[in-house]
Amino acid sequence: MDLTGGFGARSGGVGPCREAIGLESLHLGDEFRQLVTTLPPENASGSFTALLELPPTQAVELLHFTDSSSSQAAVTGIGGEIAPPLHSLGGTLAFPSNSVLMERAARFSVIATEQQNGNISGETPTSSVPSNSSANLDIVKTEPAETDSSQRLISDSAIENQIPCPSQNNRNGKRKDFEKKGKSSTKKNKSSEENEKLPYVHVRARRGQATDSHSLAERARREKINARMKLLQELVPGCDKIQGTALVLDEIINHVQSLQRQVEMLSMRLAAVNPRIDFNLDTILASENGSLMDGSFNGTPMQLAWPHQAIETEQSFHHRQLPPPPTQQWPFDGLNQPVWGREEDQADGNDNSNLMAVSENVMVASANLHPNQVKMEL
Amino acid sequence: MASADKLINTDVPEKDVFALHFLQSLSNLKTQNPLNSPAKSIDRVRKIKKAAYVSMARAAGGTSRLWSRALLRRAAKDDNKSVRFSRRKRKVTWKISSKRRKSNNQRAPVVEEAAERLRNLVPGGGGMETSKLMEETAHYIKCLSMQVKVMQCLVDGLSQK
Repeated sequence: MDLTGGFGARSGGVGPCREAIGLESLHLGDEFRQLVTTLPPENASGSFTALLELPPTQAVELLHFTDSSSSQAAVTGIGGEIAPPLHSLGGTLAFPSNSVLMERAARFSVIATEQQNGNISGETPTSSVPSNSSANLDIVKTEPAETDSSQRLISDSAIENQIPCPSQNNRNGKRKDFEKKGKSSTKKNKSSEENEKLPYVHVRARRGQATDSHSLAERARREKINARMKLLQELVPGCDKIQGTALVLDEIINHVQSLQRQVEMLSMRLAAVNPRIDFNLDTILASENGSLMDGSFNGTPMQLAWPHQAIETEQSFHHRQLPPPPTQQWPFDGLNQPVWGREEDQADGNDNSNLMAVSENVMVASANLHPNQVKMEL
Repeated sequence: MASADKLINTDVPEKDVFALHFLQSLSNLKTQNPLNSPAKSIDRVRKIKKAAYVSMARAAGGTSRLWSRALLRRAAKDDNKSVRFSRRKRKVTWKISSKRRKSNNQRAPVVEEAAERLRNLVPGGGGMETSKLMEETAHYIKCLSMQVKVMQCLVDGLSQK
């Protein structure tokens, strides 16, 4: 028991030592590590008696103003102090010292685990000091990385501050290389870091939903499908009222099938009408714009498709306005009407009433869409 | 869902485009094969139907859409004269199909069963992911209804007199 008590006191001495060093070496991780490894714990307890003699609440308040991380270190140290009485009480969670301390400690979940570490170290005295220090080191090891990243962010905003730190010097060398490469590489680096931290920022899991990456991806996929489904529902008539994805899909399938059947039926009816029409259409269309078939394989075939006198006007169109896709359609439509008109003229020449009907009908079809243009023509 | 709707582009060209393309492919049909004998009416129906689909695919933007690309490819398989097609693109869409279908079947059996039927209907649907299939189906439905309108107008006009 005496041995364990002694070790507990020693660990209690190490605790404040670490907290005091942690204050100074928040951004000097390597130096701190050297200090911890080189300093024997007995010397440390001797050198930090001033802090030890303060009441623990004051010590915490002295250390608390800096950072959450430094207060972590502080409370771990106090956890080490608390450890021996805990051990003497047989591991029951009754802290004798201070209620304020308890509240402070309870705020940080990490600290609570650290306290338990301290308890365990108090119970197993041979491994107490190294295990405690290593656990604490892990915490402090993470801190220099954070400060490095923050400083790298500062350096991205073109502030050259050189902090005398061995690890930082290495970083400086690397950073110069980064800056030589240019801003794009640093941006990529930053974005990759953010991606490592938060892989799915855009997908939020509501309460009770799974948060692993597979179910997040699955949920995103389902939402995508639902959006498309809504779009399809708007397209298919009478599909708005139906509930249920499968039924909606059935209705969509029926609609597509009916449309395809309609095409088949209409082509049958077209085949049934007088075959001479096709012949006449052939002559007219071949004479009017025979080159259209060649250009129609591309996505924007209309520029190639026109007879030569039409190309000039279209080019003037393109020079006047910027050509987004609708403006490519409009000159086409505007030029389309004279084509039909000419077809009608030639139909008169051919004295074929069927062709008249066809061309008139297509005129009607276009008139449904462009009443303005037809008015202009009339 | 507003942001997702922005991404889905199912714009369809005007009716005139469909009409023009259809009439041209009809005329092209005649120049290819000037058979006017009534004995081959079935063959004629088939050809007009094919002309309707091919012209619809061309009017809808040629190879920019997956379904129109598949339609043109299918037409090109029937006869290499009517449609010229780059060979490189042929292999792309078909390779995905078997894996995707297997993985999709595990998810939601009812929806995927319906989507499977839809894949058989929409040309080129075999190689599509489900969300892409929906998008292509929306565009396909728009174009099909447009084509049906054009053909209806044509038939009405021809049978009126």
